[in-house]
Amino acid sequence: MAVEQPARPTLADKIYDKLFHNYIWKSIFRTGYPNTPRNQMLIVATNVFLHLHPTRIHRTHVKITHTYCLGGLSFFMFLGLTVTGILLMFYYVPSVDRAYLDIQNIQTNVQFGQLMRNMHRWMAHAMVILVFLHMMRVFYTGAYKPPREFNWVVGVILLVLTFLLSFTGYLLPWDQLAFWAITVGTNIAGSAPILGPKTRFWLLGGFEVGQESLIRFYTLHVIGLPLLAAIFMAVHFWRIRRDGGLARPL
Amino acid sequence: MATAVVARPVARPQPRARDEEVLVWPDLVFIEFISALVFTLALFALSLLVNAPLLDQANADVTPNPSKAPWYLLNLQELLLHMQPALAGVIVPTVWLVIMAAFPYFDQDNEGQGVWFGTENSVRLTVVSAIVAVVGTWLLILWDTGKIAMAMNDWFGISGGRTFAFLENVRALQSQLPWPEWSHRIPYLWFDLKILDEGYTGLGATSFHYLDLPGFLVEQAIPIAAMVGLPSLLIYALWKIGWVNTRRDAIIVLFTGFVAVFGVLTVTGTAFRGAGQELVWPWQLDVQEGIPGEGH
Repeated sequence: MAVEQPARPTLADKIYDKLFHNYIWKSIFRTGYPNTPRNQMLIVATNVFLHLHPTRIHRTHVKITHTYCLGGLSFFMFLGLTVTGILLMFYYVPSVDRAYLDIQNIQTNVQFGQLMRNMHRWMAHAMVILVFLHMMRVFYTGAYKPPREFNWVVGVILLVLTFLLSFTGYLLPWDQLAFWAITVGTNIAGSAPILGPKTRFWLLGGFEVGQESLIRFYTLHVIGLPLLAAIFMAVHFWRIRRDGGLARPL
Repeated sequence: MATAVVARPVARPQPRARDEEVLVWPDLVFIEFISALVFTLALFALSLLVNAPLLDQANADVTPNPSKAPWYLLNLQELLLHMQPALAGVIVPTVWLVIMAAFPYFDQDNEGQGVWFGTENSVRLTVVSAIVAVVGTWLLILWDTGKIAMAMNDWFGISGGRTFAFLENVRALQSQLPWPEWSHRIPYLWFDLKILDEGYTGLGATSFHYLDLPGFLVEQAIPIAAMVGLPSLLIYALWKIGWVNTRRDAIIVLFTGFVAVFGVLTVTGTAFRGAGQELVWPWQLDVQEGIPGEGH
């Protein structure tokens, strides 16, 4: 009786083996290529970026219509804004004498400069809209209910931070649109009872929009608020995991 | 003595049903990757087609008319036209954010989570509140800009004349009624309380001593009554007809109303406010730049 012999490894098998079962790959990813359930779970659990996720998830939660990916996309916009923002920072000096010329320079002389600026602007608008829609999704799916009460509060804080990030960035091009929008916006803040004028002065670093305002908005926009938002995002994501992932019907 | 810990029911994550679960890699990671890709490509295409706006260099001496805040603040700018600035620009948004943050502490019932519109009535509550809020906000804006009085006169030939001029808009209540002299200076503190000496307006300290009753009514009392009263009235009416039965139902009405009003105010502020913040059609929007008082 002939015993069935294992098939000889093909060339593809050999290449696969060399690529994913070698010392260097294993030193980086620990697991082999994620093509078995074991490796698929391990790669999520052992990768710092992927471990924001659990290894398994309820099947209703991967339905696109359950979340429309809105929270994830908001975060993705934040990442994209960081990348395009860093590129813009190479060419931009927050001085009233240079800011506007620098933007013109970015648009006309810098390779892909106009594209980077456009991406940054449209992503910023997209982020405001996505964050708002994400809030609506969470509300209408009742996902703020216990035990996720506080994460909803963190979400409200992140909504405010998103508005502030967008608002501080609005001044930086130093054109008429920027200047007067910030004048109107800070006048709104300045109308607060008792503390208003103080708040406005503190925001602008003076009585009207000028160099001091520009450097304040710039610093808040490129480091202060992103750092704060990152901290609250970390809390937000961490708590999603701690509270058992996405909300599910009882 | 050890402090007694009061036992209270704590909501715990539900037990996990393994057979109902799928692997995050590839099922979720794939979807995330695709949606990120779609958004990157869409924004890339948008960026190729539409350039970010860049007007002339900032100039403090040339005021565009109208001057507008970024679009997501235009709802507040619209609100500013109808009530006292501090109320519209600071108090209303702050109070609303606090109310919204407090939602989960007000509605602690676990029912209806994890699915869209998971409770009975939630769909019709959402639809009805959205319609009422959109129509109601538009009517209030039209009334306060005097458009309703104008339309009544132009279309139906109905004019209130001098007698009913005070109903034309909310300001008219202040300007068109024969308020007695004393009503503009009603003392409510027996001394003049002054807080903070500075201000960019150069108006000096805020003084708390006298109440201007007509001004207070028009700028604070009526707007507050409308903003608190109308949503309450809607919730009450929907409770009366048996649609609002739980706290969840009530905040669905409240939240939907907020989203709708936020939307209407943002759209109005963005697309329907022309020079001098006059209410115009979107195709009549025209930004004029100039030095105030000098014309072009």
